[in-house]
Amino acid sequence: MDNTDIQVLVVGSGAGGAMAAYELTRQGIKVLLLEAGRDYDPRTETPMFKRPGDAPLMGSGNVDKDFGYYDATVDGGWTVPDEPYTTADDTEFLWWRARMLGGRTNHWGRYSLRFSHHDFKGKTRDGHGADWPFEYDDIAPWYDKTETLVGVCGENTGHEDMPDSSEGVLQPPPAPRVTELLVAAAAGKEGIRTAPMHRAVLTRSQDIRQKCFYATPCGHGCSIGAAFQTTTSLIPMARATGNLTVITDAMVKAVRTDVNGKATGVTYVDKKTGKDIDLDAPVVILAASACESARILLNSASEQHPAGLANSSGQVGRNLMDSTGANIGAYVPALRDRPRYNEDGHTSNHLFIPWWGHEAQEKGELDFPRGYHFEIGSGFREPGNWVAGDFQGYGEAVKAEARSAYGSYIGFALRGEMVPNEHCYMEIDKDVKDKWGIPVAKFHWKWSENELNQVRHGLETAKKIFANMGADPGELPSPEEAILKGGEIIHEVGTTRMGDDPGTSVTNEWGQTWDCKNLFIMDGGVFASNPHKNCTLTILTLAMRNSSWLARQIQQGSL
Amino acid sequence: MRDVKSSVYVSRLTRRESLKWLSALAATAAFPALTACSGEPDKSAKAIAGVVEGHWPELTLKPVNAAGYGKDPDLIMPPESPWPRLLSQKELQLVADISDLIVPQEGEYPSATGVNIPDVFDEWISAPYERQQNDRKFIMPLLVWLDDEAALRHDMTFTDLTEARQKAILDDIATVDDNTGDAYLRPAEAFSRFRGLVLAAYFSSPEGTRDIGYQGNVAIAGDYPGPTDEAMTHINRVISELGLSEYALKS
Repeated sequence: MDNTDIQVLVVGSGAGGAMAAYELTRQGIKVLLLEAGRDYDPRTETPMFKRPGDAPLMGSGNVDKDFGYYDATVDGGWTVPDEPYTTADDTEFLWWRARMLGGRTNHWGRYSLRFSHHDFKGKTRDGHGADWPFEYDDIAPWYDKTETLVGVCGENTGHEDMPDSSEGVLQPPPAPRVTELLVAAAAGKEGIRTAPMHRAVLTRSQDIRQKCFYATPCGHGCSIGAAFQTTTSLIPMARATGNLTVITDAMVKAVRTDVNGKATGVTYVDKKTGKDIDLDAPVVILAASACESARILLNSASEQHPAGLANSSGQVGRNLMDSTGANIGAYVPALRDRPRYNEDGHTSNHLFIPWWGHEAQEKGELDFPRGYHFEIGSGFREPGNWVAGDFQGYGEAVKAEARSAYGSYIGFALRGEMVPNEHCYMEIDKDVKDKWGIPVAKFHWKWSENELNQVRHGLETAKKIFANMGADPGELPSPEEAILKGGEIIHEVGTTRMGDDPGTSVTNEWGQTWDCKNLFIMDGGVFASNPHKNCTLTILTLAMRNSSWLARQIQQGSL
Repeated sequence: MRDVKSSVYVSRLTRRESLKWLSALAATAAFPALTACSGEPDKSAKAIAGVVEGHWPELTLKPVNAAGYGKDPDLIMPPESPWPRLLSQKELQLVADISDLIVPQEGEYPSATGVNIPDVFDEWISAPYERQQNDRKFIMPLLVWLDDEAALRHDMTFTDLTEARQKAILDDIATVDDNTGDAYLRPAEAFSRFRGLVLAAYFSSPEGTRDIGYQGNVAIAGDYPGPTDEAMTHINRVISELGLSEYALKS
């Protein structure tokens, strides 16, 4: 395909960008996809079956490989060489990036929980943040289509916080581990249910991908395509249409606009040569990640768009949200010396604890809005750089303690919804540029009482569940100590939020910017709120729905 | 190697005397804060406050300036020697001696040196990353301390001691309780880190992984089979003993 044929230019090859490319090319539209990182092929690069002991430093993490040696992330993590970001004084914020084809989909947790009717209309219910410009029922069929295409294992539970998928959409979930069965009983005593986690992991083979064989952590990537990443699914499928061209090592600096304020294409740096290259395109989709897309918009100011492109509302970079995070865990004496079996499963929690507090919240019994869930960490993991146990002495007694304590620890990871506040936003740092000459993002962050009260509630609830298991997580930390840093859960969204009022939002419900009709945003930036259920499934779903709408506009000539 | 006598310490008596002098000084010196030992808050509080007897070498370690493996290393064929290793042959021998006391040969399972733990240890201690450099600040003084202690007690290096005498020294620092003398708190904290590393290196070896009973990392053709009958019987008993049976998931 010649670049002059481009009908849509997509920036970013992660969840949003690859889904947009898939949907558009499927409908016969010529797409050019730009990726800031290098080409990446999980079929040949994924360390399948590799043992932690085979890696340097027993696979442990460090500044080069933050999540461990085998983590799939290429040229990224909390820092990207030559591409800094800054934070305001007295602010901590962490920004995870990947510089590789497929972006962060190569290593994500694959948790794929639908947002519910509670989630799309939070402001109507409790006055915080913003409503989404559509109802759950509008998007439910698109969740079905996305889950079917992506391949999600799980179960319809009828749980109030987990909308059912249509019959036949979900693939069967793996059986729970015994540790999770114990948590289920212990939570049950508190009137709290567990449910099978929904994950973008195939338990049945489909299209060009194999089903899970229950080995190798998904964060390493998946050479057989069982754990969803765009590099083994949407991108090769889009390529197969003949309508997709991909350029890697292409770091977009700005969207170019004409005198009428319409987008005419982008300028990108070819990282291999360091040269700026202009590309023309009738339609531009930004899906570079919430903060990277907002950065591009703010760096694309012009006479027609003086505050940055698509920023007449002043909302670009604002409403930055992450999930709340906190960890609590304990040694469970009753699990000491338990019978061995293979607990790898799909390498993440098979059961989790969905948010149970809607009724209490409606009655005004809780001192925080919105919900959270607990992910359960447990099991006989492949031994790595740390061994659990209460060690004294040396020799055979110490080895015996390690064997006895193995698999007897359970951890809960709290993941909760924050509401946006005026102190959490990003802007452009006027004083700092990256290696490519692009002004960098500067972050501002502050948790509010809403999040701190939520974390306190979570820790206290977890402690009761642990007590029911005969386990003691110890004295609870204060919520200020326990809550993880802004950005640390890697669910940053909201910087180009959608809405039905051009004065308070950046895009309409289709991700089309109010100020520039041929410019779309299809990453997590468009989220009007950030429900606690992990953002990727909804990024994928919105990108499919909105690309489908865009395809219709192109076919009708209405752009 | 037990019969090989070290020829390094030519002036042992002088060394020994200077150690005693240092011990006296150490009791009043300001020490760098120690990482709190989770199990013994009172003990480490004492250590942090500098109320410490005994000797502890204050080493000036050259920072490790080697490059790391970078942000895009080969994950299929990891680098063999990502950075220069810093332990001397003598230090490696000492690491080997202690490692084999922590993880001795046991039935079909090899000792620490049987799975090359000193090499893993050397790679760790020599790595240019924060966690490893922090461990190095504890481990390197411990290696010196062990030789110093051996010199004080027996006028020999640790490596040259009989196993019984080596164990007698470890007995004073490997178990921390109310009877642990203040003189041993700092080597005990360092030994705890050493032991953690040796255990990790052992259990992450193929033999150690088998020893601990890990059964995964094998491809399964059908569905994930879930718990065995034995594991289910066990957990149902646990759930029952905790009085949770009525809340258990119905299968």
